[in-house]
Amino acid sequence: MMRDAMPSLPGISLPHSDSLFQHAACGLLLCATDGTILKVNATFCGWLGYTAIDLLGKKKLQELLTIGGRIFHQTHWTPLMQVQGMASEVLLDMRQRQGQSVPMLFNAVRREHDGVLYDEIAVFVATDRRKYEQQLQLARSKAHALNEELALADRRKDEFLATLAHELRNPLAPMRNVLEVLKLAQLEDPNLSWARDVLGRQLCHMTHLVDDLMEVSRITRGRLELRRHSVELAPVVEAALHSVATLVAESGHRLHVEQWPSAIWLDADATRLGQMIANLLTNAAKYTPAQGAIWLTVERVLDDVLISVRDSGIGIAPEHLARVFDMFSQLEPALSRSQGGLGIGLSLVRGLAELHGGSVSAHSDGVGQGSTFTLRLPLPATPAPAPSPSAASRQLQAGSRDGKVLVIDDSADAAESLALALDILGYDMRTAYDGAAGIALAESFQPQVILLDIGLPRMNGYEVARHLRSQPYGRDVILVAVTGWGQDKDRKMASDAGFDLHLTKPVDFYELDTVLQKMLKTT
Amino acid sequence: MRIEHRNNIRVAEPPATLQQQGAAATIVFVHGFGCDQTMWSYLEPLFRVRYRTVLFDLVGSGASDLSAYNFDSYASLDAYARDLRQIIKAVADGPVICISHSVSAMSTLLATLAEPRLFRAQVMLAPSPCYIDDPATGYKGGFSREDIDDLLNTMDSNYLGWAATMGPAIMGVPERPALGQDLANSFCRTDPDIARHFAQTTFLADHRADLPHNVTPALIVQCDDDFIAPLSVGSYLREMLPHSHLQVIENAGHCPHMSAPETSYRAVRTFLDGLGL
Repeated sequence: MMRDAMPSLPGISLPHSDSLFQHAACGLLLCATDGTILKVNATFCGWLGYTAIDLLGKKKLQELLTIGGRIFHQTHWTPLMQVQGMASEVLLDMRQRQGQSVPMLFNAVRREHDGVLYDEIAVFVATDRRKYEQQLQLARSKAHALNEELALADRRKDEFLATLAHELRNPLAPMRNVLEVLKLAQLEDPNLSWARDVLGRQLCHMTHLVDDLMEVSRITRGRLELRRHSVELAPVVEAALHSVATLVAESGHRLHVEQWPSAIWLDADATRLGQMIANLLTNAAKYTPAQGAIWLTVERVLDDVLISVRDSGIGIAPEHLARVFDMFSQLEPALSRSQGGLGIGLSLVRGLAELHGGSVSAHSDGVGQGSTFTLRLPLPATPAPAPSPSAASRQLQAGSRDGKVLVIDDSADAAESLALALDILGYDMRTAYDGAAGIALAESFQPQVILLDIGLPRMNGYEVARHLRSQPYGRDVILVAVTGWGQDKDRKMASDAGFDLHLTKPVDFYELDTVLQKMLKTT
Repeated sequence: MRIEHRNNIRVAEPPATLQQQGAAATIVFVHGFGCDQTMWSYLEPLFRVRYRTVLFDLVGSGASDLSAYNFDSYASLDAYARDLRQIIKAVADGPVICISHSVSAMSTLLATLAEPRLFRAQVMLAPSPCYIDDPATGYKGGFSREDIDDLLNTMDSNYLGWAATMGPAIMGVPERPALGQDLANSFCRTDPDIARHFAQTTFLADHRADLPHNVTPALIVQCDDDFIAPLSVGSYLREMLPHSHLQVIENAGHCPHMSAPETSYRAVRTFLDGLGL
């Protein structure tokens, strides 16, 4: 090192360069390429407690490292020096003669002198740097742990939402049954008739909220399975318009609808498609002051269909546009809002749109300027129109249906209300509140149909079903599973246990009656 | 994802005359823990005159696709063995010769056990079936569990220095041989989390039980001053591995293909000649 003559200042006496080398503020070494120490300064020797005589020609640099450092030296340092000719800021622990280890920072360059390669190395004590690094690493692992915790909390929240939606659905079932009973009754008192209609509307509203909550929690947990079919768009749009008609009318909004002139067929889940459109319409109605205007437009653009809902409402500030689709995002604090809601409607639309391979976007010129939400869904590659189901009247008629039906449900309200509603339709009804009682009753009553709750105490619905199927009287009975869970997995389990049919709570009364009629006819 | 991209595979075709005869065998070079295919820059050109050569980076190293590194599956050498078999099938029509360094000698052995028909011969440079001593059987791997923990700590403490050391900056070393700039720039650059995980997988692996099942001719190249795989490991391997030859090279450290490419070449040459390859 320092072979070249350096220019010097005339007339000033400076320390000799060898003294500079020996007592430099860093350790300096010259090593052969195999690590043998050929020259070393006093600073380095002092740090490690050796004399130069102990080291020169006798020790290799790597022999002063800890074991871990020696492995690293072999696997990284040596190849690095050979290929790259340098290494910088490598932090390794060196062993002092007394056995203590000291963290040191290495910079090295491989250079040729008179045809021979040498490694020139500068070393710094890095105790403080090691401490900083340890602190940084600690902070990093803490942040990592915190992230894990947050992810866990998020999962728990999703699971809680799923349970909440499920539990909220359960009481809705008997309430809906009672309402069906009330609808079948001829009410003389106009007050009672009004009260029944209010109950009906509010129950419908609540069912929608719970359904949204259920759907959004399924999407966040990746458990939503679409039931895609070839669906004609126009009737779905009509049904969505119908579902928000009351809300729109109450606010005095004018609704302008522009459907596409020719039929559009989508490969979509009809229920979810309607849910998306209804949610956009509900959103528009809620965030538009009374006597406003809402425009719904359906158009085809290239390979997509665009369903736009525009309103003359309160609009969205530019800084809020990006957040409107986030879950629980509501642009105003709950207390200052006149409109309720869970803040999941738009989040649900986005989730459902993405599951359909589409997207949803929001546009607004600013606060007070109204908003436009556009749902974009891809058209199927080959449109295959399926025969559209005839829109039969969903009005149930009291009458004399033929058939013996047993309801087994541990919720007495649910069982009795369902039985009462079916009784008015003319079915011969019995109820039981647990599996054992249900099995006993099945034996004596010999029903043609058994509606069986899955979440029964002691003996669950699957076990009851298996038992019933093993009995002579249960071999040909129509077994219908009624549960709060509507996953494909649940359907599969129900079918494995011997159920003929799986219905999700709250049971659609019309659907149940239709199915029962059909199944009773075929057996 | 294409394997060529995942493992950054480079194929060098043999000279045209050999190609016409259809005689050129394929050699696949498998780098070990630490760096990447650049390690072969000194040895591989010596084989190129007679063979079709294939270089690649292990997933997680060099210019491989780091997003393919799954911490669960790459926790054992089986994942590397599976990758190697996929690579061989992607680049060659018939069986190949593998030259593998360090821990990859064991991954290669696992691959030969799983699908022997893909291999003609294997060369193990500085291999070790197990780095940790096993007092119960008297096996001397060279290290204790504490030593390996110390290495992992060393790697942790180099977390910040990593980018600078392994980074693209090449400062003032004009007299370095003209390695392609692109190669030198990527050399040893890797994600520190992956490197630490790979270190753990490498140094805690124990494949001694796999050795007796070997059916592929093997050359063990051992260095007399290798700190990572001491001579005792070489003799153990020779004893336990059927169809194997041991060749000891002097003063070549842990990377004989870098520090003594000519000597390494001669050892491999003799071995391949003996097999008529």
